[in-house]
Amino acid sequence: MANRSIKSTGAYLPLLRFERKAARAELAWSGLGGNGKGRRAVAGWDEDALTQGVEAAREALAQGAGTVARVVFASTSPAFSDRSQAVLLAEALHLARDVETADLANCRRTAVSALLRALRGPEGDELIAAGERRAAQPGSAAHLTWGDGAAAVVVGDGSGVARLLGAGRVNLDLLDIYTSVSRGLPYAAEERFVRDVMVSEALIPAAQAALAQAGRRGEDVALAVVPETVSGLYAAAARKLGLSAPNVIDRLGAEAGELGTAAPLFGLALALEQAEPGQIVLLAGCGNGCDVLVLEVTAKSDRRSAHRALDEGAPLTSYSRLLSLTGGIDLDWGPRAEVNQKVSASVLARHGREMHGFVGGRDQGGNVQFPKTPMPVNPALAERGVYEDVILRDEPARVVSITADRLNFTPDPPFHFGLVQFGNGARVVMEHCDVEGAAQEVGAPLRMRFRIKAIDRQRQFRSYFWKAAPLARPQLAAKE
Amino acid sequence: MAQGIRDKAVIIGMGCTRFGERWDMSSDMLMAEAFEEALADAGIGRDQIGAAWLGSALDDVNVGNSAIPLATALRLPPIPVTRVENMCATGTEALRAATYAVASGAVDIALALGVEKLKDTGFGGLPIRTKGSVNDLWMPYGSAPGTFAQLAGAYAARHGIDAGDLKRAMAHVSWKSHQNGALSEKAHLRKPVSMETILHAPLIADPLGLFDCCGVSDGAAAAIVTTPEIARSLGRDALVSVKSVQVCASNGWEMQYGEWDGSYVRNTRIASARAYEEAGISDPRRDLGLTEVHDCFSITELVAMEDLGLSDPGRAVADVLDGRFDRDGAVPCQVDGGLKCFGHPVGASGLRMAYEVYNQLQGRAGARQLDNIDFGLTHNLGGQPSNSVVAVSVLGRL
Repeated sequence: MANRSIKSTGAYLPLLRFERKAARAELAWSGLGGNGKGRRAVAGWDEDALTQGVEAAREALAQGAGTVARVVFASTSPAFSDRSQAVLLAEALHLARDVETADLANCRRTAVSALLRALRGPEGDELIAAGERRAAQPGSAAHLTWGDGAAAVVVGDGSGVARLLGAGRVNLDLLDIYTSVSRGLPYAAEERFVRDVMVSEALIPAAQAALAQAGRRGEDVALAVVPETVSGLYAAAARKLGLSAPNVIDRLGAEAGELGTAAPLFGLALALEQAEPGQIVLLAGCGNGCDVLVLEVTAKSDRRSAHRALDEGAPLTSYSRLLSLTGGIDLDWGPRAEVNQKVSASVLARHGREMHGFVGGRDQGGNVQFPKTPMPVNPALAERGVYEDVILRDEPARVVSITADRLNFTPDPPFHFGLVQFGNGARVVMEHCDVEGAAQEVGAPLRMRFRIKAIDRQRQFRSYFWKAAPLARPQLAAKE
Repeated sequence: MAQGIRDKAVIIGMGCTRFGERWDMSSDMLMAEAFEEALADAGIGRDQIGAAWLGSALDDVNVGNSAIPLATALRLPPIPVTRVENMCATGTEALRAATYAVASGAVDIALALGVEKLKDTGFGGLPIRTKGSVNDLWMPYGSAPGTFAQLAGAYAARHGIDAGDLKRAMAHVSWKSHQNGALSEKAHLRKPVSMETILHAPLIADPLGLFDCCGVSDGAAAAIVTTPEIARSLGRDALVSVKSVQVCASNGWEMQYGEWDGSYVRNTRIASARAYEEAGISDPRRDLGLTEVHDCFSITELVAMEDLGLSDPGRAVADVLDGRFDRDGAVPCQVDGGLKCFGHPVGASGLRMAYEVYNQLQGRAGARQLDNIDFGLTHNLGGQPSNSVVAVSVLGRL
């Protein structure tokens, strides 16, 4: 087996966590409100599978992205079917223009399949990111049990935090859920059928093959990561496999929801953040079959982003706001929402890479500015500027001025924006995100988030840029 | 060394429509009404005008590109006619162009006319527009109140001012303008409003409430400018002279360079200092009999008092609450109601301000007439505090 290992993991959840009890109360008349337990993560209006994937990748690449040779982006809910999300991911991370990229879609299992290939694959660091923002119809179980979020893994040569011991696979066109292009919403099969057949026909055979290849038994597994696409799935499989390990993904489902393609990688991040060297982790990716990996933890991970993502957030208790954010209702925002936001392809080709990568420039006098301009803003310079690229996304920043604008259109009012001062001297007027309640104070610290800049509703296009968010997120109250 | 334009041009006629929701009038009708008043005031014929400038800020809103709408609306003779646009400084830009043309000797009599027809857009407030195809990739679409609201937080932080005190001072700015607007027959908003109503109005952009924001209006205003010699040859005496017109535009320093703290408007400071020098005003608090400043939002007027040198740094809140800028205060501000109540048809506003100063200097302001006016100031702030165009003019007796 190749001398490859998992180097790091990263995870991301959007700020808002919808309290499912609010749906149960609102939908009591219909009986469609679910069990009312736990929360689901809800993407902001300006978040999609890609933006969340970028944030998870940043967590995984906390030590820097300079060595990444390959980028894989996996999702069943990419905003584009013909615009590479992996290329945009690479641009957001300002990776080299010749980095190898691949987009994986159409199956919730692809991120785990990609991880297996990377662990067996060619030399060089490979980033695998998975993100989901899946649409589901209000009233369906999926609308409340699914969540939005992302996770990422970096695989590279030599030793890391975990290595592959064995793997197994079963392909099976099992329609636990399916989503057709024309309908765009999931259709679910009867849960008992799914659980019985998924366990017996896919999960158990794949796990048995993986354990056999690893030379391990069920009781050797310390931590399991098995997405619960239907409840009781892991318990049913564990009995047959002799597994007694906790399924760490349970917490994800209860507190953020089922994350589709991103779920197994998020669960893997949770597992590796708490695992001790020598422990065995069983990782399953399910979707039209199963890929099961048996991993050995080889070092203590220094990452905590998965646990932090679950611990931090802001409760969302308005069912109508959930509907608005998830596309369940289409509110009339008035004429300010009608502005033409068409993005010029030639402008994007000329400036997109610097926008996506948040690339400013340091002029010959040492001042950093964004964007770069022919003549530097630095008053000390009188000639055409020559700039050194400066990436602003990880620079410390603070509020110079800010407001909560209630006149300007945004799909989730109010619209926070203002001047942001970066520690390296750059200054940018920016939209803010992830502000619940009062706006930040002048001088408050900020962090940058990759977000949707604007959605062109006439042409169903979206552009991406960075927004300023409060540096720290609030702690969520403990799960009920 | 530039000589400046002081006393090289005088205003011999002005006109101004009633501002407001002019559902009854299109832009050509507004232009004609302001022009007819100005022409009658000047006592000249249309054919005596040698050049004209049209100020219209929002080119895609009901007026149209180029100067042709002006030439057509007024059926001007075949003379040079030019459109100028500099956001909210547009009206004063038209006046500057006409004044410079006369002062240079290139033209004997020039017309400046500003017009805007905003209420047909269907928007409350200004319509939303693109910021350009490159800027749209990164620059947020903030509303006008959103951009100016940021001045409030930064100003309070700079001077350590309590948010409640600032809110009350902003409310007083608007309260005062509503009091004054009630005396202006041509004003958009003519009802006095109580402090309680202002303080408890719905928020538009924190901390600006509804009554911290000016009216968005339809309207037009015009000025006819000539040399003092020609004015006298036309039988005019008691001439109103253009003492100075100065404009200053941001070059990105505020928005991109890390020195500005967001608490003031640099261009107002620069433009007013130049305007005072050009006009020969050494002490604006003593010399200015009234000011018409760009009160698009209450905080804008409050901060402008410091930037124009009419309050000491950090003292505007106290001076406003003390009534220093009320109609009976030391330096009356917005005696016609200002943008807040007279209204804000963008391209016309600078000329509307000049119209009030012009009338005050001639003792023709009726119920609003102030005593002992020698100089009056107009001030426009286009764009936003972090990226602005500011125009300042001083008018006075020759």
